[in-house]
Parts: sequence; C-alpha cells; structure tokens
Amino acid sequence: MGKNILIVDDEPDMCWVVSQIIQSQGLNVVTAYTGEDACFKLSKGDFSVVFLDAKLPDMDGLDVARRIHAIVKERPLVVLVSGYHYRDDPIVRNAQEEGLICCFLAKPFSNEELIGILISLSC
Amino acid sequence: MSENPIKSSFQIQYEMLLNAIPSSVLMVDRKLQILSVNENFLIKSQRSKDTTVGRHLADVFPLVILQSTCIEESIRNVFNSSIAVKGQKMTYRAPGVPLRIYYYSILPIQSDQIILIMEDVTEQFRLSEEVRRVERHLASIVESASDIVLSTDIDGRVLTWNSAAEKLSGLKTQDVYGRYFFDFCDANQKQMVEQIFQRMKTSNAAHTTEFNLLTPSNSGTILISWVFSPMKDDYSKTVGTVVVGRDLAERLKLELQLRQSQKLTALGVMAGGIAHEIRNPLAICSSAAQFLQEDRIPDEFQKECAKKIQTNIQKASAIIENLLRFARSSLDTEMIEVDLISVLKETIDLVTNQAKVQKIKIHLSLQKSSVVVSGVPGLLQQVFMNIFLNAINAMPTGGVLSITVNSVEDRVIVRIIDTGVGIPAGELDKIFDPFHTSSPVGQGTGLGLSICYSIIRQHLGSIQAESRLGQGAAIIVTLPLL
Repeated sequence: MGKNILIVDDEPDMCWVVSQIIQSQGLNVVTAYTGEDACFKLSKGDFSVVFLDAKLPDMDGLDVARRIHAIVKERPLVVLVSGYHYRDDPIVRNAQEEGLICCFLAKPFSNEELIGILISLSC
Repeated sequence: MSENPIKSSFQIQYEMLLNAIPSSVLMVDRKLQILSVNENFLIKSQRSKDTTVGRHLADVFPLVILQSTCIEESIRNVFNSSIAVKGQKMTYRAPGVPLRIYYYSILPIQSDQIILIMEDVTEQFRLSEEVRRVERHLASIVESASDIVLSTDIDGRVLTWNSAAEKLSGLKTQDVYGRYFFDFCDANQKQMVEQIFQRMKTSNAAHTTEFNLLTPSNSGTILISWVFSPMKDDYSKTVGTVVVGRDLAERLKLELQLRQSQKLTALGVMAGGIAHEIRNPLAICSSAAQFLQEDRIPDEFQKECAKKIQTNIQKASAIIENLLRFARSSLDTEMIEVDLISVLKETIDLVTNQAKVQKIKIHLSLQKSSVVVSGVPGLLQQVFMNIFLNAINAMPTGGVLSITVNSVEDRVIVRIIDTGVGIPAGELDKIFDPFHTSSPVGQGTGLGLSICYSIIRQHLGSIQAESRLGQGAAIIVTLPLL
C-alpha cells in the first residue's frame, strides 16, 4: 500500500510502543494525541491504516471513525485499539457491522497480534 | 318514773349518735352476746335488729368469718387484758350479701362490754388494688423495654435503673443507686452530661444527645442515643430527670454496611474508567517486554523499554492503591486531623479516569494549599467521591467539573459545580432523601447523597444543593475548621 499509518492515542508511551512495532515492519508512522488532531490529519487522505484508541480526551475513538467515515473519500482501514471494551463487546461488533472499523485490538496485546493485523490488512 | 323520760331522751340521743356513725358499731358483752348494733351494721349485713340484738356473735357472723379472723378469741383477750385491738382486716362474705372488706377495732369500755367498730374499706381497698395494678403495669413496661430507662433526682443521682440498663451496661441497680449518672459516662463527656442535668432543673423541654455509656464489665463503652426529660411533681416543680437511651450499635452497624455497599456501587460506576486506565500501562509493559525478548537489541532501546515498563507498572499500581484505599477505608471511624485538600486531590485522582472517558475536564481552585478539619478521611473521601460521580453522571456528553475551596471565618466551604443536566426545581429538596434517584431503575441506588448527608452531619457540617434544570448543579459542603 505504501501509505503512512496513523497512530491515535493520548498516551505517548502507547504511541511509542505501537510505532516501534509498526516501524519494525518497515512502515512509516505518524502520531496524533487527540481526536481533533486525528480528524485533521486523516482529512488529507494519505493514510492507509489508522490505529485508533477507543477513549481520547476530546472524543471517543468511534466518534473519530464516524467522522472520517462521513468526510474522507479515500477512507483508511480503522483498527480500534481499546482497553475500555471487552472481547465480543456489542459496541465493537456493531461498529464492525456498520463498517466503521475493520479490526479490534484489545489492550494489552502481543506484538505478534498487531503484526498479524498489519499482514491481514496487507500493509 | 321521773327518770324514764330523761333516760329515754339519752337513749334516743345515744341511738341517733350511733346511727350517725358511718361505720358498723356493735356492743358485745363478756358472753359474746350482742347488746346493741347501729343501723349501718344492719344495712351492710342485711339483718334486722330482732335477729341481731340479744344473739350470740356466732349466730350473727358467718362461721367462716369467725374462723378466719378469730374475732371471738380477740374479744375475750380484750376483756381479759383491757387492751384495744385496732385495724384488723376482715373480709365479710355471707350468702346474698356483696363482698365487703372491713377494718375492725375492738375497744374495751366500762360496764363489762366491748365496742366492735367495723369500718367498711371495700372501696378504698378496690382503689388501692387498682393503683397497685397500674403501678405494676407501668413498672413492667419500664422493665420490659429494650431501651434504657432510668430516673434520677434533681442533681442527677440515679433512683431507678431498668433491666435494659443493667443488661447493656452490666451494672446492677445496687451498683448505681444514689450515684451520679454522669459517673457512668465516658470521661471526656462527663462535663457535658453534668451540664444537661443542670439545664433540666430549669428547663421544660426534653434534650436529645448521643454519648458513650461505660460498660465496666468489659472495660469498654457503648454509644447510646439519649433523651433527657425533666420529671415534674403535681405542682409542676422539677423533682428529677427521666433518661431514656437507645443502643446505637445496631444502627451503626447497618450504617456502616450501607456506606460500604454504596461504595461498591461507586466502584462499579468507575469500572469502565479503571479498566481503560489500567489496561493502557499493561499494554505498554507487555509490548516493551516483548521487545526485550528480541535478539540483538541496541543498549539504548533496551534501557528505554525497561524504563517504560517500570513507569507504567507504577502507574497501574497507583490506580490500584487509590482504589484499595477507597474500598477499604470505611472501616476507620476515628476522627483525626485531616487535610481536606489532600482528601479532595486523592478523590479527584480516583475519578480522573472516569472523567477522562467521558470528556470531562476537572478544575480545582484553591485559596490555600492545606485546610485542616477534624474528620474521618475515608468518610470524607466517600462524600466527595459520590458528589463527583453524580456530577460526572450528569454530564454524559462531557463538560467541566469545578471544585473550589474557600475558608470563611471558622468554616471551610467546598463547592462542586458541574455543567450537566441540572436538577429540576421540584427535586432539589429531595435529593438528600434515601432511595431518591433520577437514574433509570437498576442504575442508581438513590443512597449516594443521603449517605453524604449523614456523613457530613456526623462531621458537624452541612450540605446543600443549588441548580437550574439544564444549567448544571452545585453541591456546597460546609465543614467546621479545626
């Protein structure tokens, strides 16, 4: 795909960890710490995948997904990264069915899990 | 002949006099023959003069009475000794005659006769029986009560002490009788109790209070809720004090359980925020640890991973520490010097996670860096936790939670203001009532603010609410400064 990957999380250490894993696969990353910043960066449309934290200080991860769904033409694949939801959480299932997100990655995760997602998204 | 009219005039006067006496009067000779009787006796015994005068005592009085009173024997003794017998009781039971009770006296007189005077006390006896029955009834009420009931003289010396008082204190009536009641109170409350007795001397109103009663058998004390009432005589003069006390142990136990269970409800509300905040550092640690397992990693990177693991473990641990402190602290009940600001900051730390996931900003504005009050830190934290969580719940789409602390004279005023949905005017005076809730069924117990109210009252403070629907709410907690 060749495009950048956006990491959205208000916790800098979390961004650092995810960046390290993605960069180890030879991919480029950009980070955003707020929902607003994420929407701004995504609106330019040059990201293939976004790793989106479920709870951001200014808005919910799913709200960010909903917004980009509405405004961005070339939509990135959205991976919801969350410590707030549980596995099989109906909120996550609904978001997947709605097409807002394509994957769910539960915190804490193994690095292989994250890499597996990257591969499945053919990054 | 000239003597007869005079004699009969005496006779008439004598009989008039005798008949005027409201008691039965009989003259009896040594042979126990009745020489004369008055009308009172004839009416009471339902006999005629003909069947009475000149008859033997045994023909007039029923046998059972003669046997039970031994009246014949008594009369003979009076004849022999010339010493009167006074105030003996006789129950007069005869066929067709209502039961009467008499007190009789046998008086020796000259001319070898005695007078038997029988005073009818049936009515008095019935009344005193009635009085005794009422007294017994009242006494059994006091004795059967599970509350302490005691009475003292005007200076506070114990006169009566019921069985509940004996049972709760372990002190018998003889241990306390005549001793000052305040000698059985906790040493540092003695003076206060002494003053209540002073006040009772001139007061007409009851006085309600709570203090500890000593239980010397286990060298401890029990907390009792007391009501002191002045005891008045028939002329409204204060003659003593009636003190009624109720053991608060059961109530305290229930209150403690209620506070604890309400706390668990609060923890449930925070679960989402806590999960998010603990899983974040866990995820960082987990990934960093996995990096460390890889081969040939640069030294610098290795150090960074280790540092991140340590920092994030500390972060997660701090969250758990706060939670544990909140969950367990209701077991402390001792009032100590507390810095209200630290309590507020710790409580804010606990709700920060929840506020964050709901997009709520928290502002704390302080006049001073420390404000000391007397209180139970755990309970004060529970109060602010409940208020904060209520405020957070009132702002489902985000907002601002402002907390201001101001000291005014001898009080500290904490205002907790939210920008949430507000409280409708009609609800405002009900929000501190137990089980009042605006949450949907199953989501709120309606106990949070009522528990705040009872805790703040225990700290001699006050709690109020101000709000307009749609314009947020303010809860104002006032506490006395130390």
